[in-house]
Order: sequence, then structure tokens, then C-alpha cells
Amino acid sequence: MPLSTQSQADDEQYVLVASLDNARNLSNILKAITFKDHAIFNATPNGLKVTVEDSKCLQANAFIQAEIFQEFTIKEDVVGFQVNLTVLLDCLNIFGGSTVPGVSTALRMCYRGYGYPLTLFLEEGGVVTVCKINTQEPEEPIDFEFCSANVTNKVILLSESLKEPFSELDMTSEVLQITMSPSQPYFRLSTFGNSGNAHYDYPKDSEMMELFRCNKTQTNRYKMSLLKPSTKALALSSKVSVRTDSRGFLSLQYLVRNDDGQICFVEYYCCPDEEVE
Amino acid sequence: MTTSDDRLILIHTVIFFICRSAESNNRCTDGQQVRKIYREINRNALADSQHMTTVHIPKSVMSAPFLQHPALTTGQRRYLYSIANVYSTEHMRRQMKQHYLNVLHACLQTGQNPNCRRRLQCGENGTVPKDTEKDSEARAKPQGRRKAFGKAIHALSRIGDELWLDPMVKGLALRSVNTSHSAYACFLFSPIFFQCYNLECGPEQDNQSIKCKLTLKSVLPLFRCLTSIERNVERCQISIRTPSDCVVIQFFCRHGLIKTHNLCFQESEALQAEFASHLCPNVLKAPARLLGDMVMHFPVSQEEITLSTTPQRVSLRNYYEGGNDHMRMMYTEMSLHPDEFVHFQVGVDSDITFCLKELRGLLSFADSHCLPVSVLFGAAGKPVCFFMEDVVLEATVVLATLSDSESDPSQPTASPAPTSRRCEEAATAAAAAVPAGSHEAQDIPAVMELIPSSQGSPILHPPGLMQLLPQCDVPDGLGVPGEGCASATPASTPICSLLFRALSSQQQQDHDGPSVLACDSDAEDETLAVRTL
Repeated sequence: MPLSTQSQADDEQYVLVASLDNARNLSNILKAITFKDHAIFNATPNGLKVTVEDSKCLQANAFIQAEIFQEFTIKEDVVGFQVNLTVLLDCLNIFGGSTVPGVSTALRMCYRGYGYPLTLFLEEGGVVTVCKINTQEPEEPIDFEFCSANVTNKVILLSESLKEPFSELDMTSEVLQITMSPSQPYFRLSTFGNSGNAHYDYPKDSEMMELFRCNKTQTNRYKMSLLKPSTKALALSSKVSVRTDSRGFLSLQYLVRNDDGQICFVEYYCCPDEEVE
Repeated sequence: MTTSDDRLILIHTVIFFICRSAESNNRCTDGQQVRKIYREINRNALADSQHMTTVHIPKSVMSAPFLQHPALTTGQRRYLYSIANVYSTEHMRRQMKQHYLNVLHACLQTGQNPNCRRRLQCGENGTVPKDTEKDSEARAKPQGRRKAFGKAIHALSRIGDELWLDPMVKGLALRSVNTSHSAYACFLFSPIFFQCYNLECGPEQDNQSIKCKLTLKSVLPLFRCLTSIERNVERCQISIRTPSDCVVIQFFCRHGLIKTHNLCFQESEALQAEFASHLCPNVLKAPARLLGDMVMHFPVSQEEITLSTTPQRVSLRNYYEGGNDHMRMMYTEMSLHPDEFVHFQVGVDSDITFCLKELRGLLSFADSHCLPVSVLFGAAGKPVCFFMEDVVLEATVVLATLSDSESDPSQPTASPAPTSRRCEEAATAAAAAVPAGSHEAQDIPAVMELIPSSQGSPILHPPGLMQLLPQCDVPDGLGVPGEGCASATPASTPICSLLFRALSSQQQQDHDGPSVLACDSDAEDETLAVRTL
């Protein structure tokens, strides 16, 4: 009730209005990239892009297309702001994590513009909560200059096969080494921990391997602490594409299906660890 | 007397008895007949003596009670042993098992080779280090067995922090011992357990097998989720490569995923506890799940339990150290009738107290395999052995028991034997643990060297056993006999603590060690060390 009346009255002043019948569709995706407190929101007529960065080496992006939202109105070409992601998630889950079927939290996210807080209207079972979160000056997300043209090796795997190895990765290892090659071993994840090393080999003809396009043998190491957060995204996703370019930069793209069956994307970019010879 | 004379006399004796029973009515001619038969046998015996084999009594039986009579000659002893051997069920069972294993081995031989060749080829192409000439022993496991192997590792992880892998001709032994050396576990998987079991000795290796020690922290995560192992892993292969000192555990999973774990190990001396099972006066064999069902009634936090046995009943009750908090504890006691056991032999009424936590791992293993568990023990203070076996594996857990110090405080060997792991966890123990620990470091290697070779050695005698599985009953936060007791005792139970205190201080007068119940005094250690060396 309050949400609908408000929309008619205040719509004029809002630069961005996005509505979702089930706030979980947004909160689940955002959980996959929550490893740092602050997130940069970038809204365009195509949808919402949320970026989180860590120490200039890792960048995670979540893409939620405009079609996912029940209502998505944007008055300008680009609307950007930065908020505390942890606070935002707490607000989205303000009614608790109850999974009573049929009951979901409705969300209406409104932003008035530069300098104004981000307003969230959350409703569940007739109870409405209004949250106002302060926004900050949006930082420019790093451009890793990762373009399809430079991609040397690309592999698309079903997430099911990666979930277990990723969760069992030896945490005493500082790096995760990824080897992609047109010959044996085709796709290998390696860790070097205190008790020894571990290798996970995926054959190129496995049913789990949807696409295997490797032109050159490449071995790159990435800091384990940077890649470990991607396990959350992996857990949510159904497919993952692993790409490396000529500089050794890693791109992980996860295809996530939300509760309603709609598709969103989460992507991780990571710099290689400099100590590789 | 020479051997051949013995043999002749033996035969003579046998024939004599047979004759007497068969021809009891011809008593006057008995002597003549016997002499005639004797002469014939004599001739035959001399002719056949080259083909006769001498009966050798194994060392483990040398100390058996029926051979101890001082008037027995060597030959008579051998004769008695040979009779006993034939009628020993253990012997029969061993022979049947060996026969079965031989048959299985023969059947498997035909299917075995392709697997092994394939495995070697994979090894050469991959980046796993190649071993050219050294010991390499690899095996893969058939379906359903991986879970058993994983469960064994789980059970061992409850005992100690390190895992000894010992590939031997008779199988792969996984062993562990806890830090205070009061609990030892060994799981022996016979070659039949594995799809393929290869022990290849390189030229430099003599018949000493490799003994490698791994930390359970590095092995347990690989086998942590048993259900996913059953579901996803098609084959598991373990190889030990000596030049690179690493154990390679490979899981061949569904959809072609191969997980390879290279774990570094340390060469270490052998770990093996000798337990003279034939000397145990009490042997109970419980059917599958009986013991597991019994210990289920004790709370998970229960550290120690007491097993009391009399010829009429067996009971299990919980054990609390110290006289404290009598009012606040819940005492549980369960009794079993001897009929509930498959085998019930009680030679000595005994009450033994041992650590339950360490046993739980083995009991859950036995439950999952529906195996009966044999319990072998003696009086309090002597270690208790829990043993189970089936065709393909054997599991043994030896636990030290609390000696009956309250009943006999003046006995020096009744030094409090170790029981629970909380020994080393106790914060207050720090000071006391150091001197005891250093004794341990000196003494254990000496004992360890002797163990594999000696079976009738003095270390099997009670004082020696105490040394083998000794250590400090170190005070912990719970409130404990000793000086720590006083501070932890609540004011409401002064009488109990005083009594305890009085007993324990009497005990301490016998030891020269620190007052906080470190077990072996310096003097005792030296004498024992001298004896074992």
C-alpha cells in the first residue's frame, strides 16, 4: 500500500527507481561478491552493475539486467554511486532469512541523485520498512583491459565439477595455479601447501567441459586470498567460463540462475601473481 | 638327549597307549608287542628321519603356561606344542583365512596386470615425479572400500595427530599413537582389500619396508566427506615414492576429474605396540554393535569409563577422577550378562578404566562394518586391547588403563597410568609435563627399537608395559588428585578432597618426581631404561 502511493508522488524526483517482487533475487547475487565493504553501483538503461574491488588486483562485477526487475526506471544515461554493501545486504534481509514458501520481501530501490541517500522500501506481509543508506562518491572501477581479442585460452565448465575442488582447496597454499593447455594436462588447478601439493585435472573431453578452446599452454598463479571469495559465486552458479589472456589475467564468468529462473552474470577479474617465472 | 631320541620316545609313548586301549584283554603280552612294534618303528624312523621336520616352538608360545613345568624336556615341550597347535582354533582360522586369500589372490592375478600397467603409463606421462628404481608401491581400491579406508582414517584421527603408513607384505598398516603414548591404533588392510597391491623393492632397499609418517591434518581433509567419496570417486590410488619422499594419493572421480595429492612424509622409526594377547586372562568377544550401543549411553564429553568384569556379569560405568563434585555428576552404569557375548572368558575379576574418546572411533568403524569386537585385558594397570577383524582387514586399538592406585598406594609400579588425552591439554600441566616429556623422548626410542624383534622380552612384563604405554596423569582443570585438587575443590566437599589428598600424597612419597603427579620418577626411569637396554 505505501509503496504504490509513494511511487506516483515521488517518482518525479527519483533518478533511479527499481522494483523487485522478491528482494532475494538481488540479495543472493550481491552476496556472491561481498568480500569488501564498499560497492560501486552503476545503473544504465540496460540494468544494474555492482562492482567490488580488492587491492587493485581483483574486481568482481554483478550484472542484473533491467528485465529482472519488475520496474526499472532511469532518468539519466548513467547513474553511479557507492554504498556500503554490507549495510545494504543487511537491509535487504531485514525481515530475516525466513524461507516460508510464498512469502517474499518486496523491494523498491530509489535514488534521487548525487548527494542523496539510497532509499529502500521493503515490504513483507504488510509490514513496510524504509531504509536510507548514505551514498558516497563513486570511484572509477579499474579497467583491466580484458577484451575478447586477447583471450588465449577459454574453457567453459559446469560449476558442479568445480564446486568440490574449490571448497577443498588447501588454504595453507598462498597461490592457486591454473594451467590451461591444448595438451595434457588440459585444465589443471594446483595448490602448494604446507603438507604438499595438490592437483585437480580436468580432461578436455569430459561431460563437465562444455567448451574447450585452448591455443597455448599457459600456467599462471593467482593469490589464493583473492580467488577464495569467488567460491560463493561458484556455489550459486550453474556454469562458469574461465578465460586467460596473453598477460595472464584471469576472467571468471559465472552464470547464475535466480529463484525465478532468470539469468544474471557475475564476473571476477584477477591479476596474476608477479612471482611466476 | 638328542632330538631323534626324543622323537622315538614320543612315538613309543603314543603307540603304547594305543595298544593298551585296543587290546586290554591281552595284558600279559602287551610288553612284548610293544617292544616288537617299537623295534619296527625304530627301523622306520631311522629310515625316514631325513624327511622328518623338527617341530619348532614359536617364541610367542614359549612362555605359555602349559610349557612351563620344570620337568619337561625340550622334546616333550615340542610334542605338547604340536598337539596344542593342531587343536588351536586360532591356527585353524589362520589356515582357512590364508587358503581363502590364496584363492582370491589367484583369481585376481588374472585381472590385475592391465590395471597396473595402465597406472604406470599414466604416471610417466603426467607431471607426477617419476621414480626410476626405488620402492614404489601403488594400489587402487575397488568400490565400497574407499569408505572403509576413509573411516579408518577418521578413527585414527581420534587417536593421534600423526599417521604412520607401513606397507608390508601382509598388507598396508595405518597406525597412530597419541601424544602421551597411552593409546595406539592400527588398521591393517590385507592385500585383498585392494584391487591392486604392489610392493616393488628397488635394489638398494633391503627387506626393510618404508615407514612413513604423515600428519593426519594433511590426510584427513582428503577423506573427510565420505559420502561424496562414495558418490564421486571411482578409484583411489596411493603410491609411496622414496626418492621424492612423498605419498601420492590420487582420486579418479566421475567425469574424468583426477585429484592428485602429493604429501611429503618423514621417514621415521617403526611404530608398533606389542600386546601379548595370549597372556590376557580376560577375553570378551562382543557381537557387532553391542559395544557401540553401550557407549552410546554415555555423554559425548565423557572422558573415561570403567569396565568391570566378574564371571557373572560385565558392567560399564563412567569414571570421574577426583573426589570433587560427587553431588553434581550423573553416574551411569550398564551391565551385561555373559550370554550376550559371543565369547566370554574371565580369568581374573577386574576393573579397568580407560579413555572412551579414543575408543569411539574404532567402535564407529566396527559398527559400520558390523564386526564383532574382541576385548582382551587383565588387571587394572595393564593395557586393554580392542580387536576386530574380517577377511580383508584387522583393526587393533590398545589403550592404557588406570592402575588401581587407590587400593594399593604403596606400590611403586602403580604410578598413575595415563588415560585421557586431556593429559597434554591441561594448562596446569605445563610445568609437570616438561620433565615427563623429556623422559619420554629418551625412553621411547629405546623401547621402540626392541619391539619388532622381541616378543618374549622383559618389556612385556608389567613394569615394562608401564614404560611402553606410560605417561603422566597430569592434572587438568577438572580437579584432580594431587595438589591441584585443593584449589579446585569446592568448599562443600572438603572431606572427599582431604581423603584423596591424603592418599595421593602417600603415593607421592614413593616417587621422586615433581609433586604434581608426573608418573615416572627419575630413579625408576633409569632402572627401567637399564633393563630394557
